[in-house]
Parts: sequence; structure tokens; C-alpha cells
Amino acid sequence: MAVLRRAYPHDAFPDGPYLRVADAVVDAAAADPRLLAQLVQGLDDLDSLRDLPFTELDADSALAVLRSVDGTPFFRGIVDIAVVALYDDHEVWDLLGYEGPSFDQGGYVNRGFDDLDWLPEPQIEEPAA
Amino acid sequence: MTRFGYDDDDVVVIVGSGAGGGTLANELCQAGIRVVVLEAGPHLTGADYVNDEWEAFGQMAWTDPRTTSGSWQVAKDFPNLPAWIVKAVGGTTTHWAGACPRFKPYEFHARTTYGDVEGASLLDWPITLAELAPYYDRAEIKMGVTHRHGRPPLPANNNYKVFANGAAKIGYTKVSTGPYATNAEPYDGRPASIQDGFNFQGDKNGSKWSTLVAELPKAAKTGNLDLRPDSHVAQILHDARGRATGVLYVDRNGTLRRQRAAVVCVAGNSIETPRLLLLSASGRFPDGLANSSGQVGRNYMRHTTATAWGQFDKPVHMYRGETMAGVIADESRLDTDRGFLGGYYMETIALGPAFFAKFVAPGGWGPRHSELLDDYRNTAGMWIIGEDMPQSTNRITLSGDTTDAHGLPVADVHFDDHPNDVAMRKHGLAQGTSVYKAVGAVRTIETPPYPSTHNLGTARMSERPGDGVVDRFGRAHDVPNLFVSDGSQFTTGAAANPTLTIVALAVRQAEFIVRELNRSLV
Repeated sequence: MAVLRRAYPHDAFPDGPYLRVADAVVDAAAADPRLLAQLVQGLDDLDSLRDLPFTELDADSALAVLRSVDGTPFFRGIVDIAVVALYDDHEVWDLLGYEGPSFDQGGYVNRGFDDLDWLPEPQIEEPAA
Repeated sequence: MTRFGYDDDDVVVIVGSGAGGGTLANELCQAGIRVVVLEAGPHLTGADYVNDEWEAFGQMAWTDPRTTSGSWQVAKDFPNLPAWIVKAVGGTTTHWAGACPRFKPYEFHARTTYGDVEGASLLDWPITLAELAPYYDRAEIKMGVTHRHGRPPLPANNNYKVFANGAAKIGYTKVSTGPYATNAEPYDGRPASIQDGFNFQGDKNGSKWSTLVAELPKAAKTGNLDLRPDSHVAQILHDARGRATGVLYVDRNGTLRRQRAAVVCVAGNSIETPRLLLLSASGRFPDGLANSSGQVGRNYMRHTTATAWGQFDKPVHMYRGETMAGVIADESRLDTDRGFLGGYYMETIALGPAFFAKFVAPGGWGPRHSELLDDYRNTAGMWIIGEDMPQSTNRITLSGDTTDAHGLPVADVHFDDHPNDVAMRKHGLAQGTSVYKAVGAVRTIETPPYPSTHNLGTARMSERPGDGVVDRFGRAHDVPNLFVSDGSQFTTGAAANPTLTIVALAVRQAEFIVRELNRSLV
């Protein structure tokens, strides 16, 4: 989870979404021996790249460590799963201001599809040539 | 549910049920012709669709393996997903947004207009805009296209307000919410849009035209349509004279079936259509069916695309409402002073956070990526779509080592950007980000192409048989009762979103097939 927080840092996010993403990575690894092997070795490596374990590094050092492993199968494996799982998390949707499924609420026709008020109403038809 | 016999050799077999195949099926059924539509994917309907991007992707998309090669960025970012198209009844009309521009007159004469362009395999279409115009009218009326034939425009949504105000600020005038094939008011038995978004995820409300909700149900009512989902065609069969006699397909139980036919029409989208022709090689047609020209699979086009985003210090909520109901048409013009040939459109686009995170900067992570997501609610987006140069080396071939679940070699999609494509994309992104800066964007983002949604040109129309695969009606030069009925026919791609033109061509092709069948000459 420390890796996920450093890779996708959002101060406003509680631990819940990151824990669920970590679970998603673990679940994927359980079904994929190659990914599991990469994770076991890769997470171990992260702790050995500096004098301190990864979880004790400050933000800049942790980011530098992750940059040094960017592109490795280990890190790509995490990123490919995490970018999907994190931003598909419904708690994250709330935090980012996304309202999710709309059809069962009657769409947005009466719920603000055109409520932007900081610009004037634009033309919606091309002027006749 | 109508069922015809496997040995009924008077039916028309259509492979694929999307814009081309589904429209052709309805037109033929209305004329009293018996049609078997073989659709590789399942029969999903509005109740099945989900308002969730990844779940819907898994449900609808063609995710059978494909391979990629070439220098295009999609091959690096999405090596096993060169195209984002649908495997289900209705084909990619269940995924399309609805934008319906027509071709410009000069776009039918690209070779004559643009001249001899190094590296490009430009060719004039064997038809003109004047010839297609009546069919464009019929397609627009059929599809209920807004802004056309008395259909009212869709209203401005939030994403459009940002887009259109920015456009006006930098001097664009051809700015509107359409033409767009989603109902602004009830039409043709389907309801008005409830601005629910999720156009790419099937449209649960049924306000958007698709062959799933419009053409195929109408065809079924005639009693002349035998629609078979989960039916993957493996081979087109022919006789000793070189005429198509039917197809072999794998049904939902994995059983190989033979369906005889008087006419075979292929409409599997421009990756699967050439794949099937190549898979149908035989002793008589060793390089693939209808491929004496060697052009099957070549001249693959995908439109020059990119996405520009603007992020503001105030909310936008771009995802509310119709996904692509906004177009700037000023750059779709003939003007080589911009440093490239051809034109492009800018069209509003919106993604939810899940797709936005995945696509905004493929492979992206780290603090900057997070900042882009933190401003999600304040984001406006537009897609840039322009004419790309056909190249004979951009092509669909059969993979040498990768096969699908049925053991059939999968398609390899090879694509290199032409320098003209690169110049156009650069211009489009500069203009697109200028639109957002003009209304106060605090950050603009340039996103590289997504997996291709507009796949075109791999069985192109040509006047001379040596230059292409099909004639002016989509009939194979080599096989008189074999037709190509999808965007594979496109001689060149133009700037316009292709669906309207695919539908217009299908209406026209249906008339031709009816005429020929009635004369018993096919």
C-alpha cells in the first residue's frame, strides 16, 4: 500500500481505496505466478535500494526509488492493475467529484447537465452561411 | 424468431451486424429478401448494458487477441488492443457516440485534389458526393440526425459550453451541437435523450441510433431476418467458377456450420473483414478471396486523432450529458497553408475517471498524474479527428503465430504515421489547447491516440480492379456475388466520422443487390 500511495498520491484519499487496490494486486498475483514472483522479488528490492526500508522513506526519496524501477515488469504489473482499480473505485469517484451511473437516476437532464454558469450561453447552431 | 435452413441457397448472408451489416440487412429485408446475419458476438440489449466504463468494456469490446506492429504509438501503449470496437449484436454502433458529418466534395477526389504525395497510396473514390447525396439524406432521416431534415439540435451541455465559448474566442464560427444521431426529441419510436452520458457503453435509454435498436428490430418484423449471434465466420466458400456459395462458421456451441447463400456480404469492421478474406484463401484464390489486386488488408486508415483537455479553476462535470454533442468544423477545409493536406474536426469528448486515468497519459503514474485526476471535475475535453493518408504498407495481415479460441490466425495491425498525420495532429492539438486557454484553462493536456475506433480502407473501392478490392457498389472485383459492406470500402478516410457514410453506402448497396437479384444476374 505504501507503494500505491507514492505512485498515485492524493492527500485527500483515505486508506480505504489504496487497501482495496492492494487487494486487487494481490488477487491478480494469486492467479498469475509470474506476477506473484515479480512482486515478491520487486517489493523486496524496494527495501534494499536505500539505507531505510521503503515505508520509512520520505516522499521525495520514495518517488526516486519508484522512478528507478519504472519500466520493470514488477512495477508495470502494479501500475497496470492499480490505475484501473484505483480510479474505478466508487469512493474515489466521490472524492474526485464523479457521480457514476446515471441512467437509474433519470440521467442528468434534470440534474445539472447544463448547470455551468461561469461562461455565457453559446450558440448551438451554425450561423447560416 | 425466423430461422432459415442451412441449405437454403437463396439467402443473403451478411457477416457482421454493425453500421454496414445491420443497415444492409434491414434494407434487404424490407425489399423482401431473406437474410441471415452472422454476428460473432452476443445479443446484448439495453437492460444488459452497465453505466460503468470498465465493466462495459469487458462486456462489449472485441477483446479476442490481436497483434500490432509499426511505429504508431498505440502499438507501444496498447500492443494487444489496436482497436476499440464492439463484438456484439449492433457492432460498433452500440459504442459510437453519434457524430454525423458528411464528406466534403473534394474528399471523394483525394488523389486529384492532393496530388502525388510521397509515401501515400491516395486514390479517387469511384463515386462523387452528388451520387451519394440522396443516400446521405436517407441515412440522416433513418438515423434521426439532429440539425438535419427538421430534427432539432441537442442543447448545450457543460462540456460543450466550455468548448463553444473557447471556439468563439479564437474566431471559430462553425460551432454547433451536431449533426448527431441521438434524439433531442422522441423520434422513430425511440425516446429523447435524458443526457445520461455513457454513449460509449451502449446507451441504456435507446435514444441513440444503432442497428441494435433501429435497423435490426425493423428487419426482424418483416419475417425475413434470421439473426444468429455468437456465430463466428471462419471461411467464405466458393465454387469452381469462383462464385461465393456460402460460409463456414463456428456457432455458440463450438460446432462448425455451413450456411449456403446466393450472396455473401462482409461487414466485420476493417480489421476482421480483410482477416476473413485472407482466411478464405483457396487453391483458386491462393492470396485470399477477392485479392487478385493484392490490396486486401492494405491502405488501413484509422483517422489522425488526439485528445486535448483543459482544466479550470471552476467545475465543468464534462461527463454529464451526451458524450460527443459538440463540433467545431472550421478546420475541416481545403487549406494547405496549415502545413498539411486534408482537414479535421474537433468534437467534445468525456471520459469517466477510470478511463481518463488510463488514457490521459498511457502508463502514467506519479504526482503529476495524480494532479490531473485531482482536477477531474474541472476538466473539459475534445477529440481531434482528421483525414489520414492511406499507405499501402499500413495493413492487416494474418498473424504467423497467434491464433484465436477457434484456432484461426488473428489479425496483425501494422501502422506507421505518415508525416502528414503527424503535422495535422500537432496543429490540431495546438488549436484545441488554444480553445481552452481562451476561456481560462489553468492547465491543458495533450493525449496521444486511443486504440482505433475508426478502422477504414482495407478493401477499398476502386474504378480499376488493380487498384482496389471492390467496385463502386462494394462488389468484389474478383467475385461477382461477394460484397464488402463496411468501412473497409473507403477509398480514403476524409475528416468525417465514418458511420453516416457507412450507412449511406449500405443503403445504396442494398438497392443495387435488390436490383441485381431481381434480374437474377448476381
